[in-house]
Amino acid sequence: MSQTLEYIATSVLEGNIEGITKVIQKALDEGLTADAILQKGLIVGMTEVGKRFKAASMFIPEVLRSAKSMHAGQELLRPLLAEKKAMRVGKIVIGTVAGDMHDIGKNLVGMMCEGAGFEVVDLGFDLSPDAFTEAIKVHRPDVVGMSAMLTTTMRSMGQTIQVIKQAGLRDSVKVMVGGAPVDAEFATRIGADGYGHNAIAGAELARTLIHGN
Amino acid sequence: MRVTRHNYDIDATPRFTVLSEDQIEAIYYAALTVLYETGVRVYDQEGVDVAHAGGAIVEGTTAKSSLVKIPPSMVDVARATVPSKVVLIGPDRRYRMELYKNQIYYGGGSDTPFTLDPYTGERRRSTYQDVKNLARIGQALPNYDFHMSLGITQDTAVGTYDRWQYLAMLEGTSKPINTTAVDVEGVRDQLEMAYIRIGGSDAWRKGPIFSLYIEPVSPLSHSREVVQKLLFCCDNDIPFVYTPCPLAGATAPATLAGVLVQALAESLFGIVLSQLRKPGASIIIGGLMSNMDMLSTIYCYGSPEMALLSAAYTDITKWLRVPEYETAGCSDAKLFDEQAAMEVAINIATSGLVGGNMIHDVGYLDSGLTSSPALMVAADEIIDMVKRIIQGIAVTPDSMALDVIDEVGPGGHFMEHDHTYERFKTQIWRPKFIHRQNWENWQLAGAKRYGQRIHEHVIEILEADTEPLLDKAMVKEMRRICELADARHKNEELDIKMFT
Repeated sequence: MSQTLEYIATSVLEGNIEGITKVIQKALDEGLTADAILQKGLIVGMTEVGKRFKAASMFIPEVLRSAKSMHAGQELLRPLLAEKKAMRVGKIVIGTVAGDMHDIGKNLVGMMCEGAGFEVVDLGFDLSPDAFTEAIKVHRPDVVGMSAMLTTTMRSMGQTIQVIKQAGLRDSVKVMVGGAPVDAEFATRIGADGYGHNAIAGAELARTLIHGN
Repeated sequence: MRVTRHNYDIDATPRFTVLSEDQIEAIYYAALTVLYETGVRVYDQEGVDVAHAGGAIVEGTTAKSSLVKIPPSMVDVARATVPSKVVLIGPDRRYRMELYKNQIYYGGGSDTPFTLDPYTGERRRSTYQDVKNLARIGQALPNYDFHMSLGITQDTAVGTYDRWQYLAMLEGTSKPINTTAVDVEGVRDQLEMAYIRIGGSDAWRKGPIFSLYIEPVSPLSHSREVVQKLLFCCDNDIPFVYTPCPLAGATAPATLAGVLVQALAESLFGIVLSQLRKPGASIIIGGLMSNMDMLSTIYCYGSPEMALLSAAYTDITKWLRVPEYETAGCSDAKLFDEQAAMEVAINIATSGLVGGNMIHDVGYLDSGLTSSPALMVAADEIIDMVKRIIQGIAVTPDSMALDVIDEVGPGGHFMEHDHTYERFKTQIWRPKFIHRQNWENWQLAGAKRYGQRIHEHVIEILEADTEPLLDKAMVKEMRRICELADARHKNEELDIKMFT
C-alpha cells in the first residue's frame, strides 16, 4: 500500500479532521482513484478504529473524531464516487419519538452512522408518527431509527410503525429501535426489523439491515 | 477552685467535604452567568410567562419553546423565600423526614424497567406485584426512610402506569414516598389517592405524604411536562424534587466543575420559577450527576465521579441552604455481586459523610435499569455501618475512662468490668449479615456466602405476615381512580400487549 494511502488511514485513526481533506486531495493529485482512497485509505483507518475500540484502547470521543474525519473525507470523495457508482452505504433517518426529549443516544447513533458512510437525516426529538412518515416520503431512506428513553413513550414506536404501514411505506424501509427501556422482545412485538442495544450496535445494525452481512 | 479547661463537650461529626467555600461561590456565580448569558430553553408557554413576568429576558421564541435568560437579581429574590427545610411524612406519621442541612435520609429509586426476581434471580420486567413487594421490603428495613418505586408496573396500562405504581407502593409501605407521574393529570390523580389515604386535603397541609420527582433534561432544557408539573406542585403544596441528570462528557462538560455549574443553573431555574409561582414553595434540588463511560456509553451509577459530584453538590446546597436530593446505594453491576456491594459501599459512605438529605437510588443496579431486592437489604446494613462512623467519637472525661484505665492497670483486662458491661451495647456496632465467626463456626453454620445470607433475609421479609396497610374500602376507592385514568386514555394504548 502506498504511503499516501497509509497516511490517509492514519489521519482517520488520529481524528485529523482539519488535515484530512488536504491529504486526500494530494492522493487524488497523485493519480489514486476515489475508490482506492475510500477502500484502502479511509475504510482501512475506520476498521482499525473499530478494532481498537473493541479492544478498549480507543474511546468514544476519539472514535467520534475519527468518524468526523472519515465523514469529511467521504464528503470530498462523494461526487467522484457517484460518477463511478461505487458501493453506496445507505441513507438513514433518525429521531426520538413523540413525548420524549432525550436524544444523546440517538445523536451518538447518528455520528457513528456518519462515520460508517451513511447519509444521516436527524429529525430531532418529540416526533409524531406523522413526522416520521413525512420524513420517509421526503428523504426516501433505507433505514428509519427510533429512540426512546421513557417506557411511556415506547408506545410511539409501535404507533409510528402502524402509521408507516397505513401509508403503504412499510416495505420501503427497514425500521430499527433503541433506547434504555427498549429490548429485542419489544422490538419484535411491534414489528420492527431490529433492536440496537447501544449506539455502536445500532450503527452496525443499520449496515446489516441494508447489506445483510 | 480548679477551673476546667472547657465548659462544654464537643461531639464532632466526622464530615466529608469536597469544595471549599470559595470554590462553592465560584461555581454559584458561574451558574448565574449561565442563567443570564446562555439561558435555558423552556418548552411551556405558561412557564415562560411566569419567568417573564418575574423579570426574565425571553428571546429565540419558536413554535415550541423560548430561550429564557434569568438575571442574577431574580435568583436573589427567589433565595429569600425558598425554604431551607422541607418536611415529608408517611401515612404513618412516625416516619418523618426533616430535610435540611446535614440531615441524612436514605431511600429507593424510581421506575426501573427491570427487576431481579427475588426467588429465581431472573432479570425480567417489573410488575405491580414487584412494586408492592419492593415497597414491603423498604418498609421492613430500618435504614430506609422513604421509598421510591424501584420498578415500573408494566402489567398495567402503559400511559397511566403511575397511578397503579403509586397504589402498589401505598399497599407496601407507610413511609414517605417520592413518586413519579406521567403528567400533571397523573399528579392530580395521585394527590387524590393521597387525600384518601390520610383523610383529605387538610391532613395533607399538615404533612404531605409524597413528593414529586421532576427531571428536566440536560443541558438546560425544561420540557412542557416538567414545567407544568412544577407549577402544579406549587399550586397544590406538593413538595417536589427538581433534578437534572447531567452526564459528564455527554450532556454536560467533561470537567466536573462544569457539570456542577450546569446542574446548578438547571436547579436554580427550578427555584426561581417555583418561588415566582408561590413564594415558599417546597423544592428539593440535586440530582444524579455522573460521567458517561467512554467505552460502553452507559450512565455510570457506581463510578467515583458519581459519588464525588453528588457530594460536591451537597456542599453547594448546604451553602445555599436548600434541601438536597443525593444519590447512593447504586451500582452498574448486573447482579447483586461483589461489584455491586463494593460500589454501593463507597457511595453510601460518601453521601452519608457529606450530609446529603434525601439520598435516593438505594437498590439500583445496571445503570438504573434493574432493581435488586437483595441490594436493598445489603445496603440497609451498609448504611447502618456508615451511620456508626458518622456517630463519631465523643471525647469526654467519661468516655476517656481514665479511672477505668487506672483501675485495670497494665496487663489487666476490661471484659468483666462494669464500665464495659454498661457501655458496650451503645458503643460497639453489631452486624446483622456481616459474618464474624471464625472459620470453624462459619462451616458449622452452613458455610454460607454473604449473598446467600442476604437472599434469605429478602425471602424472610417477603413471606412475613404483615397487616394490610390499606383497608378494602380505601383500596377500592383508589383502584377506581386508576381505572378511570385507564379508561380516559384507552385510545392511546397500543393495540398489542407491550410487555409480557
